[in-house]
Formats: sequence, structure tokens, C-alpha cells
Amino acid sequence: MHKGRITELFRGMDRHRALLMFLGAYLFLSLFAPHFFTFYNTTSLLKASSLNGIVAIGFTLIFILGELDLSVGAVVMLCGMLVPGLQPELGWAGGILCALLAGACIGLVNGLLVAKAGISSFIVTLGMMVILEGVMHIYSGGSSMSVASFGLADWLDRPLLPLLPPRVIITFALVGGASLFLQKTPLGRGFFIVGGDPEMAWRAGLNRDRYLILGFVICSVTAALGGALLAASLSSMTGDAVLATRTLMTVLAAVIIGGTPLTGGKGSVVKSYFAVLLLTTVSNGIGCFGLGFEVQMFANGVILAAVVLYEAYVIYRHNLLKGQRPHLLADLEQEQESNSRGSR
Amino acid sequence: MTKRWVHSWLRFILENGRIYLFVLLLVIMGSFVSSEFLTPANLVNLLKAVALLGIVAAGMAFVTYSGHLADLSVPSIIAFSGIMTVASLPLGLVPALVIGTLSGLVVGAMNGLAVGMLGANPILWTLAVSFFMEGFMRFTWSNDQIYPSTDPGTPGSAFVQLYRLDFGPVPLIVVVMLVLFIAAHFLMKHTRLGVETRLVGSSRPAAKASGINVKKVVFLDFLLAAFAASVTGIFLASMNKLGVFYLGDGYAFEGVTAVVLGGVTLEGGEGNMPGVFGGVLVIGLLTNILNYLGMGSFYQKIVTGSVFILVVWLHHCRPHAGGSSDA
Repeated sequence: MHKGRITELFRGMDRHRALLMFLGAYLFLSLFAPHFFTFYNTTSLLKASSLNGIVAIGFTLIFILGELDLSVGAVVMLCGMLVPGLQPELGWAGGILCALLAGACIGLVNGLLVAKAGISSFIVTLGMMVILEGVMHIYSGGSSMSVASFGLADWLDRPLLPLLPPRVIITFALVGGASLFLQKTPLGRGFFIVGGDPEMAWRAGLNRDRYLILGFVICSVTAALGGALLAASLSSMTGDAVLATRTLMTVLAAVIIGGTPLTGGKGSVVKSYFAVLLLTTVSNGIGCFGLGFEVQMFANGVILAAVVLYEAYVIYRHNLLKGQRPHLLADLEQEQESNSRGSR
Repeated sequence: MTKRWVHSWLRFILENGRIYLFVLLLVIMGSFVSSEFLTPANLVNLLKAVALLGIVAAGMAFVTYSGHLADLSVPSIIAFSGIMTVASLPLGLVPALVIGTLSGLVVGAMNGLAVGMLGANPILWTLAVSFFMEGFMRFTWSNDQIYPSTDPGTPGSAFVQLYRLDFGPVPLIVVVMLVLFIAAHFLMKHTRLGVETRLVGSSRPAAKASGINVKKVVFLDFLLAAFAASVTGIFLASMNKLGVFYLGDGYAFEGVTAVVLGGVTLEGGEGNMPGVFGGVLVIGLLTNILNYLGMGSFYQKIVTGSVFILVVWLHHCRPHAGGSSDA
């Protein structure tokens, strides 16, 4: 019985590992890192996690469907670039709207190619990533773009409530909304069924193609929104392709750490967000120690590697225990015990 | 005897026909685009331009063939072996090359251990490795490039000449690529390892049940990919005359592109080396023709991406095959 309780506790810890790891890292760094536990730094930490947090929403959804979208980084950059590019003519609202529309179109193409043409999403989004990088460079001329108006940027970054500038509030709202949508609405629950068991989805009368297309559209739109908000809050967008790869890698790592498997049918947007917070916290804390970007990268790699190895171990254990019936074993033991008692 | 030989060649062309049809198409297009296209000098240049990618693809194909999608740590292996070679040049040319190759193999062994022995997810694990290897290299060499000394007579000058060496009209790097492709073909189709890899790629449980040491096979496949990547890294460092952490950027995705274009399915257990070579040729020809057309590199990206999706679509499009067959 005692052993059972420990296993139960362990499972619970695993279920909330992103949150626990984030809290652990935050606590540790608050105690030891200089200038970490300050009002200002906590705000900047939340702000820094806003881009990856928003992108991770759509990315988690794609993982739940059992697919992969490698083009999110490129979408972030291209759609982010559209905002300062179009702002002089269309204003902020127009620019952001255009960025979202562009994101939706990209997602639609991805979704149609995966669902209707039947090409694997790995291939489609890999090709799309290369195409979008080309488009982005042609649009921006290979350099960064900026506008001189800082009104929206000031509003997005000035805390409305203590600790919480609008950018962070928007991120919270999106993560919460997406989580409610996935957990509580029939449409949202459908994603889990389609990703987990396509045959069951077919039996349940769910149109797999439509879910796939919708999933890719949502993923690209959230990526576009993340990019647009980043561009709006900076009033500029970098043309450096490193942002694309770094976003993709961080989000991918975060989704895995959050406990969403590549195989589909499982996952949680909130946990992905906590994992994004974890990675941002670790990077931020390393910065507080005065160490550079290289150590942040190293740390992120080690965290991801540890989680991947742990997942492998869990699967290995699962396969070992496959076919074993613990309750039957317990029955057997009891029987043996009573037998031995009887013989005595 | 001759008849059988012709027969096997015909079969070979039919089986790998699809990608070579594209090669033929591109060659015809190229000869229309420019009169210089079909000259031996241009064709050798073309081969030289794709040689580095070809070597990477020849190794990566084993990972894909064994059903493990791709080795995304290839860029960091390339960079690491390049840096280590340049750093150990003071010991002499041959020791430097050996150290460079070995350090690439160390990373490969790490991948093989985690993915093969422990069963970690290949994409995620190799991604994590590329993360911390880049961090490690940035930290150790403080974000900087390192240069070999190129004074005449030093190992450094010989090392820099490595990429620029010609055997008659054919550059050394092209010879290396062709030799590696032939060796890889032999390894894949005519040795125990290749056949076992095929079975592991087709069905891991079946391979395990038939007594194949799956862990060892996967380990060796990742080691092969790392070996090819470290050879590329050495030549790339020799070409650029420097070693730096970002040297291999982009080679992972280009390598996957070549392998998949060549008809190795992401599912594993299907494909062959001549096909992969065809995939490499398609990439080379496409770039070459677009260069002749005077297209900027950003437009080239758009074309390459679209062609990639299109070719894979046509390649994997099988009538009456239920559902998507790859990945």
C-alpha cells in the first residue's frame, strides 16, 4: 500500500513536471542569482516568454493531432515583418490583421497539403519553412524593419496591473482560452480523438481532414500573432533568421517538457506555457549570473536531453510491465500465503 | 552473362527511375538555359558544389533507412569536427584529421547510445545534442572563429589545400564523395549491417523477434551518419580556412531533403544509395540552373522549397495506397 502511494505521488509529480520544474528553478534562482528576484526582472521574464508562449499554443495543438509544424519560426518572422512593413499605410490594427490573415493562409496551404494531398507534415512544413524564409528576405530586403511610431509599443509594455503589461495579459488570456477550448468544447475534445485514434474518430463521425486543416490554420495564426505582438512591442522586426530557428527549437523543447508526446492524442497548452516559463527563467537566471548566451543554450540542451531520456525510460518501463497484471500477481501472492498458512 | 547484366541495369533504372527522370528533365532544361551548361567544366563544378551535401546525405540515409527520421545534430557534428581538426593542426596534418573524425564520432556515439540503446526519440534527442554542442563550442572557443596558420610548409597550409586538391580534372572532394557513395551502396545492400538496418527500418518488433541486435544496428547507423558528417566538417573547414560553431548550419535540413528526394521513405526500410545520389544531383542541378538564370538566392529558396514538396508528392504518390505512407 505504501509503495502504491509513492508511485501515485511520483505520477502526480510527473504530470505537473513543467510547473514543478519552473517553480524549482524560480525558487533556486531567487535564492542564489543576483538581481533575479526583483519586480522589474519578473516583469521582463514574463514579457520574454510571451512570444514563445503564444506560439506554443498552436504548436501543442499540432502535436495533439500527431503532426509536426516546422514552419512556425518562419511564420513568426514573416508575419512579424508585415506589421512594421504595413503600419505606415494601414496603421497598427490593419498591419496586425494582415499578419494574422497571412498566417491563416499559410496554415491553410500546410493543412491542405497534409490532409488532402497526403504528404507527411514533416516534409510539407520543412519545405514551407524554406519558402517562407525566401519570401521574408525578399520582403524585407534581408535587413530589419522598423517604424518611428512607439504608441502601441509603449502601451503593450507598460504594466497595467502590477507585474502585468498588456502583452503578458494577452498571453495569459490566449493560453487560458485555448486550454478551455481544448478541454471543454466538443470541437476541442475532437482534436484529442483525431490525434489519438484516427479510427475511433472516424467511427465517431469526426472529419479528420477538417480537423487537420483547422489545426494547421490555428497553429500558423498563433505563430503570426506571436510575431505580430513581438514586432508591435518593439516597433521593429529583426531580419536575422536566428530568431526563427531559436523560436522553433525553444517551442519544440517546451512542448516536449510540458509532457505532450509526438505520437498525438495527449497534451496541454497550460503545461507547455509553464515549460516555456521554465526555459525563459533558466535563460534569464543564467543572464543574472553574468554568463552569456552560450551557457543558456547549453542549459536548454541539457534540460531537453534529460526530459527526452526520461521519456525513453518511461516507455522502456511501460514495455517491461506490458502484459503483467499487478492485481493478479497480488492475488497469487495472497493465495500462496494462505496456502502456506494452511499447510502449517 | 551480358543479357543478365543489361536486365539488372534496366530494373535498376526502372526502380530508381523517378528521381532520374527529374535529373534528366533538369539537364535538358539546363542545356536550353545556357550553352555553357553541358560543358565538362560546369558539370565538374556542379559536382564539386554538391559534394559536401552528398557526403552528409550518404551518411544520413542510414539513419532514415533505419526508421529514425533524421539526425538533426549533423550541423553540430560538422562544426565540431571542423573546429577540432583546426585546433589540433599543430600536431601535424594526419593526427589532426584523425582527431577531427574521432571527435565527430564521439557525438555520433552519444546519439547512438541514447537513441539505439535507450530508445530516446531520434528527432528530439539529436535536437537536444545540437543545442548543447553549440553551447559547448561557443563556450570553449568563446563565440569565436579559429584559423589555421597558413604559412607554407606548415600542416595548416596542407590542410587548406585539401579542399582545393585536384586529381587531373576531378577535384579530390568529388572523388571522396563518389567513393563514399559506392561504399555506402555496398554497405547498404551487400552487408549484414545493411540488410539488418532494412529490417529494423521496416519493422522494429519483427527485427527484434528475429534475433537481430537492434540496439547495435541503430548505434552503428548513427555512427555512420556522424562519420560522414565529420568528413564533411573537415572539408568545410578546409574550404573556409577556419573552424567555427556555425559552420554546419543548414546541412541537417538539406541532408534530409536530399535523402527524401532520393526516395528513402521517412518510415524507413525503403530506398537505396543511387536514389540518394539522384536526390543530391537534383539539388545541385536546380541551384546551378537557377544561378544561370540569374535568380537571387532568396528566390532560389522559394523554388527549392516548392520543388521539394512537389517531388516528394509525386514520388510518394501511389495509387490505392491507403492514407499517408510516410512519417
